[in-house]
Amino acid sequence: MKKLALPDDILMQIDKPARYIGNEFNSVIKNPADVDIRFAMCFPDVYEVGMSHLGIAILYDMLNKREDTYCERVYSPWPDLHNLMKERNIPLFALESQDPIKDFDFIGMTLQYEMCYTNILQILDLAGVALLSKDRENDDPIVVVGGPCATNPEPIADFVDLVYVGEGETSYPALLELYKMHKADGFDRASFLREASKIPGIYVPALYEVTYKESDGTIESFKPIYDDVPAVIERQVVKDMDSSSYPTKMLIPFVRAIQDRVVLEIQRGCIRGCRFCQAGMIYRPNREKSVEVLKAQAKELLAATGHEEISLSSLSSSDYHALGELMDFLINDCLSEGVNVSLPSLRIDAFSLDVMSKVQDVRKSSITFAPEAGSQRMRNVINKGLTVDDIIGGATLAFKGGWNKVKLYFMLGLPSETDEDMKAIPQLANDIAAAYYETVPKEQRQGRCQITISTSFFVPKPFTPFQWAPMYEAGEYLRRAKVVNDEMKAQLNQKSLKYNWHHSDVTVLEGVFARGDRRLCPAILDAYNSGCFFDAWGEYFDFDKWLAAFEKNNISIDYYAYRQRELDEILPWDFIDCHVSKNFLKKEWNNAMAGNVTPNCKMGCSGCGSAKIGSGVCQNAR
Amino acid sequence: MRVRIRFEKTGIMRYVGHLDLMRFFQKAVKRSGLPIRYSEGFNPHQIMSFASPLGVGLTSEGEYMDIDIKREVSSAKGIASLNENMVEGLAITSFKYLPDDAEKCMSAVTAASYIVTYKDCKDDACYIENICDLKEKFFDEAACINIVKKTKKGERELDLKPLIYRFNVEVKEGVPVYDLLLSSGSTDNIKPELVIKAFHEYLGLPEFDELSLDIHRVDMYTGEPDSFVSLGDIGDER
Repeated sequence: MKKLALPDDILMQIDKPARYIGNEFNSVIKNPADVDIRFAMCFPDVYEVGMSHLGIAILYDMLNKREDTYCERVYSPWPDLHNLMKERNIPLFALESQDPIKDFDFIGMTLQYEMCYTNILQILDLAGVALLSKDRENDDPIVVVGGPCATNPEPIADFVDLVYVGEGETSYPALLELYKMHKADGFDRASFLREASKIPGIYVPALYEVTYKESDGTIESFKPIYDDVPAVIERQVVKDMDSSSYPTKMLIPFVRAIQDRVVLEIQRGCIRGCRFCQAGMIYRPNREKSVEVLKAQAKELLAATGHEEISLSSLSSSDYHALGELMDFLINDCLSEGVNVSLPSLRIDAFSLDVMSKVQDVRKSSITFAPEAGSQRMRNVINKGLTVDDIIGGATLAFKGGWNKVKLYFMLGLPSETDEDMKAIPQLANDIAAAYYETVPKEQRQGRCQITISTSFFVPKPFTPFQWAPMYEAGEYLRRAKVVNDEMKAQLNQKSLKYNWHHSDVTVLEGVFARGDRRLCPAILDAYNSGCFFDAWGEYFDFDKWLAAFEKNNISIDYYAYRQRELDEILPWDFIDCHVSKNFLKKEWNNAMAGNVTPNCKMGCSGCGSAKIGSGVCQNAR
Repeated sequence: MRVRIRFEKTGIMRYVGHLDLMRFFQKAVKRSGLPIRYSEGFNPHQIMSFASPLGVGLTSEGEYMDIDIKREVSSAKGIASLNENMVEGLAITSFKYLPDDAEKCMSAVTAASYIVTYKDCKDDACYIENICDLKEKFFDEAACINIVKKTKKGERELDLKPLIYRFNVEVKEGVPVYDLLLSSGSTDNIKPELVIKAFHEYLGLPEFDELSLDIHRVDMYTGEPDSFVSLGDIGDER
């Protein structure tokens, strides 16, 4: 029988023990003695969230295709198990072999959102690995992180040995080969890290020195300590999506994952250029897979997993060039086999409504719009090319087709937002409700229509045109939500409207981390030591502990979140080259302030800088 | 065509709950390529039903599920194609075509047999030397075994005696091993831990912890106490 790291009495008292036993169908079993490199791939959140993540699935498959490497999975133990592991000194283990990850060569973690930073420390702490990079010794694992937050890794610089900036498919082979060479040659941690820093996309925080201006505390200089360490790290991107490594045998978790379905990545990057959206900038250029490759991958994945549902993954599926052909294929080939097709958020038009009516029960499902802002002025500021006519027209078509539920997503706290812009949110919802009552005759209505408004608070992110924008204090966000709520109650169709908004404390913290620098590290460490982890989970988020940790370390939220940054300020992430140039971002910031709309990449090239990669949409446009 | 599938759930699979197991089987059947029948409607689902759910922590060699398939597949091929899609701790052991009048496994179950022992060879019960004699007094010679059963609605008094069809004990390497055949199914579902708890109380042992037991289900039966038939003995291989 497979061995387990946790004893029976623990497994019987914790929630969902199947999170910790491994043994999932399609999981990879190797003999650790047969490999040179043991890699613990970790998603620093609970199993059900981590198992849903496509990036880990891709890297797990890719690394395990190497004969010299055994990649295993690790997720954050839920607090119930966390406490028991601490109490009984049980070291954190990998799911496949159940071996302690302290003995592995690498611990890799993906940073999908800022609020997982304390969970990085939890993983290291439970593993028994020193929390600070500088305290690790030759036989400790190399701690490497990647993912979207690696585009500003500075707030966690002290905790990690390496940062992989960009898409994992490209530079891992070089990194692993280098590691093998050093391991065979009497491993010296410092010299390995020094050499690794020369691999494209690999950033070694310890090899850089930052100085700050005495006047205002902003960065004075940011440079490598040694001449042979690159001053700029170029984000790595896959050039050809069709030939890029993609797993056909996805793992089947026992505990239901958030994504309990085949997820088919149809493209990377987005042509739209919404100014608030980090993904829309850092994943440039937009690179599509060919429809033939997607059809083959869909079939293979369904056969290898037995999933009864397939969904498409991308930032903007409606922009995929052959969406009609792909949907026809999925509907004809999959529906008949008992496989449901779950739709990504599509632009609502005649095409998408036709597709939706084939795969969903119209009476039960809803249509979704993400206008992100209520007024046309504000939508121009954020470069969201969606007009009132698009929305009302799409909703009217949907109402004719039998739908009566609409979900609307907005952001509050966008740069230059006024009370009029906020009030435009419920007004737009009211107009949609009015369109329902105009479109659908009384005798055909099944009760009222339901328009649900959700707002989140805007957080400025690095490498977006809004990276210089100020945030607001928590109380101001709530005031803005109240403006929306009060205005909603003044609407004629208010009984058809519903409004949800988010908490604001966590927004402020997310804002601090998103644009933070390495001076935040001691505060994050103190927060973890005072009991903060699973901060992304409302029931475990404790803002007061964070405030205490900030105060103790002289961290000013004002400095990181609320101030307007100058366009010529050295930003903590300026050393990373995401291909989109700082000049383009500045131009876009000015366009935003002037309310000018910038065309999307298929309409014409706006010269963001990613054309130098020579891939995807940049090639088609020229 | 209805097929009854018997399977084992052992080893570390004991930590996987019933709902998770059902979802595992839906995907495994799909992967196996068996021509399973689907329900109608917008969210078609496989026509598949399970006999009495096994609790987390228990193992079994006698679990059952019934499925509807569209065309005949040989029993050997059915077993092989499913076993290719199992994981360690799950194994298909039979695949039989049910007669038209066979009751669904879910509602057919009337009894289940178990082997129960202690995880810890130093459990209090291991120090009772005349445990076999005491078992006779507790069970064989008793006219009734009244216990208080906690239900969702509160507590009710229950006589276990007519619901225990077999209760044997033998001591192996110093540890008592119980062999039980108990009423099971939708009415009067008696869990083995309930019986052992009553026995512990009779023995005068301190606080009973059901997690101290290692419970293994051997088989499930249908019919009446004098003519129990294993669910796995119904139907034919083809």
